[in-house]
Amino acid sequence: MTQTLPSTDIDLFADEVIADPHPTYRELRDAGSALWMSRYDCWLLPRYAEVFAALRDHDRFSSASGVGLNDVMNQATKGGSVLCTDPPEHDHLRRILGSRLTPRALRGHSEDFLRRAHLLVDELIEKGSFDAVADFSSAFPLSVVPDLLGVPEDGREHLLKWASAAFQAEGPMNERTQSSLPDLQEFLGYITDVAGEQKLASGSWGHQMLLEARAGEIDEKMLPPLLLDYLGPSIDTTISALSTAIWQFALHPDQWDALRSDRTLIANVVNEAVRLEAPIRGFGRHLTHDFDADGVTLAAGDWVFVSYASANRDERRWENPGRFDIHRDTAGHVGFGSGIHSCVGQGLAKLEATALFTALADKVTRFELTGEPVWNVHNILRGIATLPVTVRV
Amino acid sequence: MPRIVVDTSRCEGHGLCEGIAPDVFALHDEGAVEVLIKESVAGDAIEAAATAAALACPVAAIHVTS
Repeated sequence: MTQTLPSTDIDLFADEVIADPHPTYRELRDAGSALWMSRYDCWLLPRYAEVFAALRDHDRFSSASGVGLNDVMNQATKGGSVLCTDPPEHDHLRRILGSRLTPRALRGHSEDFLRRAHLLVDELIEKGSFDAVADFSSAFPLSVVPDLLGVPEDGREHLLKWASAAFQAEGPMNERTQSSLPDLQEFLGYITDVAGEQKLASGSWGHQMLLEARAGEIDEKMLPPLLLDYLGPSIDTTISALSTAIWQFALHPDQWDALRSDRTLIANVVNEAVRLEAPIRGFGRHLTHDFDADGVTLAAGDWVFVSYASANRDERRWENPGRFDIHRDTAGHVGFGSGIHSCVGQGLAKLEATALFTALADKVTRFELTGEPVWNVHNILRGIATLPVTVRV
Repeated sequence: MPRIVVDTSRCEGHGLCEGIAPDVFALHDEGAVEVLIKESVAGDAIEAAATAAALACPVAAIHVTS
């Protein structure tokens, strides 16, 4: 290679960077359009323009070799799920998953979600003070998709730990990744068990897919990965988005007032929450052809970490990017990724959030923080771990 | 003349296109997106609106070519 590579030895996965990532993201964005991460032997794309271009260029930025930053996971996952395939394999799996998750397919659930949201909100108002993460944000994600999929109650108590491990393991081969592998193994064991022994509730999405597999419409060996694709990414991500929103509404009561007086703004809450604090920091891609990142050539065969979280805070793209503003035109944010691999469950996440914030807006006038948010320390996921709040009615 | 195409195999009916360019795209009740504009009448403003919708489409199902 003749060019001098713009590189960085900043450790994106150091505890202190994970705890307070945004100053580092900014430093990296200012350092270049693409940076060679010398610690991990892969490129980093920190700016919006290149991140968006990469996500829309799925042939060049391949997912079929895995999307993690370590060989163990990439070897184990490549080609085996919607996340780790390219077209045409990807498109087949995406259609199976997506058919149940389109806004139209989900429309029938909105009334039930709203009913459940009102019950939850009434309970929380009764309490007055609570942990917004455990008591509010986690309630729907830990029940909605598991119920829709029809997985048995037995084992659900481990879902938080397992789903988190599935993301954790996509990081570089550090201590966090290593310690997540046993939990991921347990998760895979659970999924295989559920898929194989007719434990899926009759009429559920999982059971429908089981019947489709028996009828030869779905390759039977894809049933566990499909269950995993529904379940794994639906939990922490949604919890993160809901918690970010509550945290920001507590910090900016004017935003909550605006939402209460114009309910059409509810539709944008999740978008702005995942723009501000992308629940997924980023994923890896494997280059099939050279890529020109504003004058820096990334070579075919190189690995690239595509940072959604940094792109969503890029001053080159967003005005006042650190500000939570539910009036913002969020179109084009990459908090759900973008393009063919964009979050297949985003319609469901938005439907859950719409129900929850509608129920809150009916009764709650103020959220007050009664302590500082504590953030999870995680390779891939960004989310608040505990958020003590008091609600006023 | 721009050519505006919706890839129906990728479209999941998120409806952002209709919100951004209601003169160009219509999301029907059954979840399918229709391109309302005929190539022969599409001008620069339509092309700009369609391009904005294409960039916002979460699943990259809209293709606009000049």
